[in-house]
Amino acid sequence: MSGRHTGEQHSHTVEGTDPQLYVEVHEPQNDAGLRPILLLHGFSSSSKLNWEDTGWLTALLDAGRRVITVDLPGHGRSGAPEDMDSYSPSRIRADLLQIAFDAGARPLRDGDPSSGLDVIGYSLGSRLAWEFGATQHELVHRLVLGGPNTADPLADFDLVAAQRYLADGTPIADASTAELLKMAQLLPSNNIFALLSLVEAIKGEPFDPAEAIPPMPMLLVAGEKDDRAASMPDLAALGAKSGAMVEQLTLPGRNHTNAVTSRAFKQGAISFLAV
Amino acid sequence: MAEISFPLPDLGEGLIEATVLEWLVSPGDQVERNQPLVEVETTKSAVELPSPQAGKVVRIHGGPGDKINVGEPLIVFEVPDNTAGIVGTVPKEEAPKRRVRLSAVLDED
Amino acid sequence: MSNSMLESEAVVESPASATVMSMQQALNRALDEVLADNPRTLIFGEDCGRLGGVFRITDGLQAKHGPQRVFDTPLAESGILGMSVGLAMAGFHPIPEVQFDGFAYPAINQIVCQIARMNYRSRGTMPMPITLRVPSFGGIRAPEHHGESLEALFAHVPGLKVVSPSNPHEAYHLLKYAATRPDPVIFMEPKSRYWQKGEVDLARHDAAGVSPTGAKVMREGRHLTLVAWGAMVARCLQVAELAAEDGIDIEVLDLRWLKPIDAEALAASVRKTRRAVVVHEAPLTSGLGAEVAQLITQSCFGTLKAPVERVTGFDVPHPSGDLEDEYIPNIDRILFGIQRVLEYKRG
Repeated sequence: MSGRHTGEQHSHTVEGTDPQLYVEVHEPQNDAGLRPILLLHGFSSSSKLNWEDTGWLTALLDAGRRVITVDLPGHGRSGAPEDMDSYSPSRIRADLLQIAFDAGARPLRDGDPSSGLDVIGYSLGSRLAWEFGATQHELVHRLVLGGPNTADPLADFDLVAAQRYLADGTPIADASTAELLKMAQLLPSNNIFALLSLVEAIKGEPFDPAEAIPPMPMLLVAGEKDDRAASMPDLAALGAKSGAMVEQLTLPGRNHTNAVTSRAFKQGAISFLAV
Repeated sequence: MAEISFPLPDLGEGLIEATVLEWLVSPGDQVERNQPLVEVETTKSAVELPSPQAGKVVRIHGGPGDKINVGEPLIVFEVPDNTAGIVGTVPKEEAPKRRVRLSAVLDED
Repeated sequence: MSNSMLESEAVVESPASATVMSMQQALNRALDEVLADNPRTLIFGEDCGRLGGVFRITDGLQAKHGPQRVFDTPLAESGILGMSVGLAMAGFHPIPEVQFDGFAYPAINQIVCQIARMNYRSRGTMPMPITLRVPSFGGIRAPEHHGESLEALFAHVPGLKVVSPSNPHEAYHLLKYAATRPDPVIFMEPKSRYWQKGEVDLARHDAAGVSPTGAKVMREGRHLTLVAWGAMVARCLQVAELAAEDGIDIEVLDLRWLKPIDAEALAASVRKTRRAVVVHEAPLTSGLGAEVAQLITQSCFGTLKAPVERVTGFDVPHPSGDLEDEYIPNIDRILFGIQRVLEYKRG
């Protein structure tokens, strides 16, 4: 892996408690002079699984981009705080803002291509990126949202059923809940109880894309067979209606799991963000 | 020229097979070390495999949708005979570089 | 070609019998000729047969001389060297390969307790004509156990001879010479120089008067002697060129044989230059540099201008990957060592 790593648990507190988020800033060998890119991974994934093993980090560094990766709470190498508030989307967005500034991102200035911040999200990361863009338009330059959705499947997650299943094996009736839990359990590194805390916090702040719409240009990308992103055109329409420039890219033959490695996705994102 | 076969590596966590999603190189291509070769998907995630070495691609195994077991051939490279199988990197012959200068008063006693 | 012709060509830079080849090719050719000359020689080791060795040193030899004489072994160094003991007892001349320096450790018992002692133990009735080839030293950014310098370890064992070639010409001749000796020889090949090409005079090793078991002056100089072996010889020759830009005239002595060491050649060179720096990749403490420094001190104490300096690896395991650049003596570290000697003031 090229680029210097400054891997550390982020310890700059936003609301007085340490979010224990694991942040890495990756420097390209030949810097293209453009703003940094913040990468936000999906539920039950990590920066390593979502962005490193899939070739994203290498592709972005090769394109001369400075990259900030962060593991969401309870994921990857981040901590799993005890308090529920650490998992709420609004608190995570506040932490991300602090992380971006600590990593050297600065508000957009006209004519300065190194100012601002680009954000690429996948799945849950796209939800966070949408909200982050909508609230931080002085900072965010462009968004790339992979596997996006107008709703958040985690908000419909049947927590009680999941907890009962984990306690005594009672089968889960809701198919989406069962699938998400199975996905979470596949990775032995996952802290299941921290992930369920995240679900609970998301239920308290469900995704409502119409509440605040990002004004900056957006690229929405999803696999042709991605059921979880079936509502991508609705999200695009919502963005366009409020005046944002929205492009959509559909990846033939890909689903929610395997769209993330797609070359077309990476190249589309790199050229969309190369302005 | 010699041929070197690269098998599907152990992708960790007890996985025994992967499905080819898309090849990023074709036979005849000259690839560099760490260049992305192929996207594969396991039951847990999708990954992009970087090339373990430089060389010319002779053959690739499996098209999109095909399953390959860990340890089965994935790709075959052609490399110059004198670098086949080497562990490590062939050193480059470089012009000598220096920062240190010598200074001495040599009394020829 | 007659001897008189060779004599007359001794002063010419490129005799008719010279050909340009890499160290890989020179070693391969030497082994090919040894197999052809002596039907009792056998070559074996991990990947030596069908593949032709990971560094292609035995490439094509199995096809030419047959799988009875050039063959693969299981991945077990103690077995490779244990088998060599038995074959030597039975009258063969084994030329085993340990694929990498660090893989010699599992065979230390066979090398130290059997191969080195059998002749002594049997009062000369069981000589061990074994040439153990070991791709050695660092410089190819390989993982652990693929870059180590074991010369001091082997040189410390009574009964072993140790040699390391520095270029294709030396590789060809020293291997042919080692493979005809009645005693065990550890043949340390500097793997970082395998691909380097150079002129090989197939007909003749050294100028008249230079012993094949002695050291060799690779560059003459007046002010200081750099003593080196293996891959460090080429680096010292580069340093000598750079030092010449600063008006310092350096002699480079390729020790070649690390056991026994050519003490006379060391004495002759340093009596002339009165200053010496010894360079090796192995760690400093109890490295062969200490032995060299002592031999020089013994013979040149009265005329030395400064204590002998050592520029070596550090007292840590040989590092892998890019860290090698920090570990292996580089040009600047060698120049610093030279400067320390040049600046030395008595009292």
